[in-house]
Amino acid sequence: MNKTTRREFIKKSGLTVLSVGLSQQVFWRHVRAASESVLTQAAALSPVDRVLVVIQMDGGNDGLNTVIPLSGSAASLYRQYRPTLAIPEANVLPLGTDAAGTLIGFHPNLQLLKELYAQGHVAVIQSVGYPNPNRSHFASQDIWHTADPEGRKRTGWLGDYLDVAFPSSDNPLLAVSLAGARLPLMLRAEHVLVPAIGSVDNYQFRTQPSGDHQNKMRAFLALNRETASDHRLREQIRLIALDTYESVEMLQSGIQRYTADPTIVYNMQNPLARALRQVAQILAAKLGTRILYVSLGGFDTHQSQATPHANLLARLSEAIATFYADLVRLGQDDRVLLMTWSEFGRKVVENGNQGTDHGTVGPQLLIGTRVKGGIIGEHPSLRAEDLNPGLGDPKFSVQSLDFRSTYATILEKWFLVDSREILGGAFELLDVLQG
Amino acid sequence: MPLDEYDKIAHLLRRAGFTAHPDELDAAAARGLQATVEDLLNFERFPDVSPDPEILTALDLPQSDFNRDDFLNKLTRWWLHVMATTPRPLQEKMVLFWHGLFATSVRGLEFWQQIYLQNENFRGNFDPDTGQLLRPALGNPFPVGSFRRMLEYLSKDPAMLYWLDNQFNVKKSSEVGSNENYARELHELFSMGVEDVVAKVPNYTERDIRQASRALTGWRVLQRAAGFTFPRVFSFDSARHDFGPYEHLGKRGGTNADFIFDNIVRHRNPGQKQSAVGRFLGFRLFQFFGYEDPEPEIINALADVFDGAYGEEPFNIRNMLRVIFTPGNLVSEAFYSERAFRARVKSPTEYVVSLVRLLTFNRATGRPDGLSSSPNVRRLVQNGMIQMGQQLFAPPDVSGWREGLAWISTTSILARFNFANDILALQVTQGGIDLTRLLAQAGLQEALPQQRYGEVVDFFARLLWPSPPSADAREALIAYLQAPIPNASSNDVGNLKIRGLIHLMLAAPDFHLS
Repeated sequence: MNKTTRREFIKKSGLTVLSVGLSQQVFWRHVRAASESVLTQAAALSPVDRVLVVIQMDGGNDGLNTVIPLSGSAASLYRQYRPTLAIPEANVLPLGTDAAGTLIGFHPNLQLLKELYAQGHVAVIQSVGYPNPNRSHFASQDIWHTADPEGRKRTGWLGDYLDVAFPSSDNPLLAVSLAGARLPLMLRAEHVLVPAIGSVDNYQFRTQPSGDHQNKMRAFLALNRETASDHRLREQIRLIALDTYESVEMLQSGIQRYTADPTIVYNMQNPLARALRQVAQILAAKLGTRILYVSLGGFDTHQSQATPHANLLARLSEAIATFYADLVRLGQDDRVLLMTWSEFGRKVVENGNQGTDHGTVGPQLLIGTRVKGGIIGEHPSLRAEDLNPGLGDPKFSVQSLDFRSTYATILEKWFLVDSREILGGAFELLDVLQG
Repeated sequence: MPLDEYDKIAHLLRRAGFTAHPDELDAAAARGLQATVEDLLNFERFPDVSPDPEILTALDLPQSDFNRDDFLNKLTRWWLHVMATTPRPLQEKMVLFWHGLFATSVRGLEFWQQIYLQNENFRGNFDPDTGQLLRPALGNPFPVGSFRRMLEYLSKDPAMLYWLDNQFNVKKSSEVGSNENYARELHELFSMGVEDVVAKVPNYTERDIRQASRALTGWRVLQRAAGFTFPRVFSFDSARHDFGPYEHLGKRGGTNADFIFDNIVRHRNPGQKQSAVGRFLGFRLFQFFGYEDPEPEIINALADVFDGAYGEEPFNIRNMLRVIFTPGNLVSEAFYSERAFRARVKSPTEYVVSLVRLLTFNRATGRPDGLSSSPNVRRLVQNGMIQMGQQLFAPPDVSGWREGLAWISTTSILARFNFANDILALQVTQGGIDLTRLLAQAGLQEALPQQRYGEVVDFFARLLWPSPPSADAREALIAYLQAPIPNASSNDVGNLKIRGLIHLMLAAPDFHLS
């Protein structure tokens, strides 16, 4: 069954099934059978069956207390600039030496990530940012979302990728955001509609009373199956309504295929773990989803940051480790890549409130079985001449890495598409992914 | 097939207002289209909306006691209530228009109270020079007066001065002020756009922006003013101001921003008969009230009105609206055309307001009750608006919301469905809809027990949908009313089924269209 006929099946023959009076159960089974058979085929048809999971660290992560210098001038300046916030050297988890010869290590709460790193599944990309850094959360996030430092684009780089790579897809779950009600700009496309799902449990048609649910959904479908081909706008709305119905049905029936493993326990007090568990459910459902987006908030640590920042890193580490173990268990680790990002790092010099203010470059992590583990690039220099005058954050310099290099690498080497049109230019590709 | 007069009135009241109850439609039809247009345009004939005492109280709280989120929920509920109940629907529709065009978000504000002042500014009820709320504030041109004067009131608006950083803009050099953010958006988003809407030639250069930023230096908000708990009084600081002369849009001169505002509203590209701003506003207004991508002739006709080409007062927004709505000219022909009829996707605001207006209409008073201020309703509405993609006072960025089909996505379809479900599930005591009164006033209280299913469907279709249901839709809804609810007591079924029917009609494609 090709895409068109699948749509026809769900949207037209479904009506026939109903109208000849088959029972609800039979109807649902038909819908499911249609989704499954076609999706399996659709997945096989596409060029690459790979998935990207984006983890946003919302608020501006303090990169300097995430990936910590242990040698050279950076180490001594770090301790000097951070009298109350520097992590004691003995507690830092050493990773190795970077391109400039600086020994670096993880924050102690990244122990679980350190273990993944030791297995070669984590790439630490240092000093990532962009020229003329914007220190506003919203402006800088938009720049990361759109890959446009001019801040003029209204679609996201991953939205653009979806438009380029899936011009005729009608899979309503090609990408899914699990980061709240508002769709992150990164996933906004001209053509592909990406649902923003608060949580999988809430992505349902609510009806009261529940006993009337089937009656209501039947009427809802009937109202939306009614064509009025002379009214273009009405047609478009009803088709999206049917897509919605279909995506809800696909998702809710699909996640039933996920069975929890008693040895892999997501900490449900950890919001990132909760979200990543839903990512695992969606991946296990094999719905043809290519991009999933989750977010962890709270990184805007202007005051008394030591404990909250440490807790956030513990959450990040724990959630990713559990998710990775689950991917391995599900046999999906080979096709999934995780990328973290944050809108900026923070100032080198701690402020007067045991916190740090908005800064510039920071580290990014890529995680996955197909990642070439290691350290990419150089730790930012903390020498006075390498800091922005009066601002106390690292300049974007030749040692820094343009964030679009990470994007270009993912587009070219993971999704196997030409990155230049999407990113508006060619950027250095990083050697972080196995072929 | 051309629209008949009744259809035209219904269309007018959906677009220039927030839809009308069938009783209001009948009354308007009795007065005629022309009189209905005049009532909408000359809204000062009717009383203005009342401020919400809770909001006024919150404005006077010390900053330490001020609760941002609670304030925003109250404000959102109040404005939606105002839109649903105002006797001046066109005034309110224009406040919504300006909020979308001069998009300002609380997310960029330190003092969220300022967004309420901006809302009243757009209604004409705020004086930035004194920080006072007045109804009306004499001299305030919003929402339908002189656009030239609006630029001044917009630029003095405290929320705007914070949002786009112009409060930090100080004299720097003969080339540029210290912060050009506001000067840029003033040209690009608020008045003319990067390109002439019709001629597609650049309207201005980067240097015009930089020069304009010079003229906008020294504009501040008093940090403290007697009697006020947050910064809300405009002040001009001559020590920070660059007194020019400026070179802007091909002219040289000026000592302050008046020079810039005058240049902007009169700016014409070489060889163009109409002004760039007239075209931009003509385009935006017709897109908002009529249909997307209006033809150049429509844009130019509206721009001529803006320019005062026929001797009328220039820059006047009400004159432009009069041309759109008054039958008998090229623009209004388009407005009342088949192409425009039922061809606009309701924004989430219009979606919520129209359902509140229609379902809370009291036929005894001839007015809608509006949206309850109960905390349940406030939360439900705020969450609903966020899920549906239009959190008022928090547009996604300075370019506002993307309108039209962009409102509809799988997420928003689900959000609209669930919002309609939730609001209908609320009981009257929780601020929900008074279904008993609605049915009694329609003479339908016994309709379901008497199996008058078709009559019920027809009544609600007339109330809620812009055109009668097809035979198939009618049949599906009747089938729904008849389908039993397992485990529901027979006393409840009627009530549940009516609520379910309304829910379904609000979730159908027809209710998303205006």
